[in-house]
Amino acid sequence: MNNTADLSECTLAEALIFQIAQTIEDGILAFHGFGSPLVQMALHLAKQTHAPNLILVAGATYGVNPTPDFLTPTSNDWAMDRGAECSLGIEELFDLAASGRMGRMFLSGLQIDRWGNMNVTQLGNDKLKLKLPGGGGGCNLSCDVNRLTIWTAAHHTQASPKQKPRFRLVESCDFITNLGHRTVDNRLRRDLKLQGLGPDRLVTELGVFDFDEAGHARLINVYPDTDVDIIRSHTEFDFPVSDQLTVTELPDAAMLKIMRNLDPMGVHRKEIRVQDQNRYFLLDS
Amino acid sequence: MFTEIDKRCSLAELVDLIHDGDILAIGGGLSSREPMAALRALVRKGIKNLTLVGSAHGIDVDMLCGANVVAVSNESYVGFEQDFGMAPNYRRACESGQIKVFDSCCYTLVQQLRATISGIPFMPMRSIRGTSMTLLHPEYQTMKCPYSGDELILVPAIQPDVTLIHAQYADQHGNLHIDGPPVADILFAKASKKVLVTVEKIVSHEELKSLGITIPYIYITKLSEVSYGAHPTACYPFYAYDRKHTAEYYCSASDAETFLTDYLMPYVFDCDLHSEYLDAVGGEPTLSRLAQWQTGSEQWQSLYE
Repeated sequence: MNNTADLSECTLAEALIFQIAQTIEDGILAFHGFGSPLVQMALHLAKQTHAPNLILVAGATYGVNPTPDFLTPTSNDWAMDRGAECSLGIEELFDLAASGRMGRMFLSGLQIDRWGNMNVTQLGNDKLKLKLPGGGGGCNLSCDVNRLTIWTAAHHTQASPKQKPRFRLVESCDFITNLGHRTVDNRLRRDLKLQGLGPDRLVTELGVFDFDEAGHARLINVYPDTDVDIIRSHTEFDFPVSDQLTVTELPDAAMLKIMRNLDPMGVHRKEIRVQDQNRYFLLDS
Repeated sequence: MFTEIDKRCSLAELVDLIHDGDILAIGGGLSSREPMAALRALVRKGIKNLTLVGSAHGIDVDMLCGANVVAVSNESYVGFEQDFGMAPNYRRACESGQIKVFDSCCYTLVQQLRATISGIPFMPMRSIRGTSMTLLHPEYQTMKCPYSGDELILVPAIQPDVTLIHAQYADQHGNLHIDGPPVADILFAKASKKVLVTVEKIVSHEELKSLGITIPYIYITKLSEVSYGAHPTACYPFYAYDRKHTAEYYCSASDAETFLTDYLMPYVFDCDLHSEYLDAVGGEPTLSRLAQWQTGSEQWQSLYE
């Protein structure tokens, strides 16, 4: 960011945080996991704006409603737990989800398919080609939590060594770590009688999707600088487009202040690729 | 049950209770309260073929993989979050086949530990059905619930041979006080055959009781006072995460050879004593820098810039 005092435009990251925050209902219990500063920021933004009764549970510390002075580069840090009203235990947090009392969770993946399945375990089907860090508790939570918001700041394809583009939104995940709307053996999620209903939003740096009746990702928003064709060219699977396709709403100046105040070191910008660091959107005045 | 009145021992004696091929659970989580001094001692001792079980880990598991002492990993996450990214030694070990990898997930592990704690052979769960985890773990079974008719998945009990924990305070009997998130340490302690502990400070029982007892002595096998025993991970309120040292670690881990020459030699093998390690990482200036988080928000932030 060139000038944090400039409230006439927002960065791409701030637009993403706002989009994720919009998925959070007031009064629910939501958990942000670790390694996801955009989501951490979105929860704090939601709580300080439209969702004051949100039960905000911080990943890694399991502190409830913390008020950190600044975002830290790793999430199991006392700085992230400052001001917490109380704390949950690891088994308590997961029990809350398993018994149907966690309203929303936020998950991502190096591969995301049309049904909202995600892979954070490994690339390579039969033989392991690239070991990813693993999903923490994401696999359990993807099944148990009432609703899921999926996000990625890396929808845009990247050239691979063999010059074939490497998709983030893929035809099929090599490994399903986090469950979307279809199982690994192609059953419907709803037939499994899981506690949670699955993903209802997929927020990327190119567009925003919801999931239709069949559980298929459907494009509902583009950004001021993207369009359907761009998004298609960076998505390996074909997808329906909503009749009411619109350009995304953007955060207002008060929200920008909240976000910039929370992350003076700019930790959240690490989630944004270099080529996207200079994407700004002009706000309506 | 462990009833010895005085469980204090040296760090070397502590890790001598861990054997080749053991199932090891490591306490703490991510960049906080990892028993790093004990893990370095374990590497120096020449341990082999460990099986690791755990939830969310980073430099602790990565260092063990880089030192080639791990045969099997059942971790849920091993990485350096957005701070540095993927765990380089862990990745190499998984991708080369040096370790067998059977990723788990946090609640599955919690339930498997609870099965052991409750003395039953498995726990039923609703989650993970439909994911690839069920294919990676053929030992999981499905059953029809005799009450509701719902399909459930059964995960078998896990009993670690050893749990290794770093805590802030203990008394000599082995009662522990953990300040801040205990992560899975309490579950690990209750489920394991042995629990070995390093602590920042051993205090009198009266003092420990006034702090509050997080884990009762009955689970604790032996303990050793090792101040700064979690470095370079954080052990608040004593010290914050040493991001600078972790950056050096990460850089050295870019390939196996430099990890040996630039990290394992100077910081593990050449430091028979923990005090030598503390000198190697910068001694008093480093340690007082990591304590400065207490002086204010700006000083705290400056540790991470």
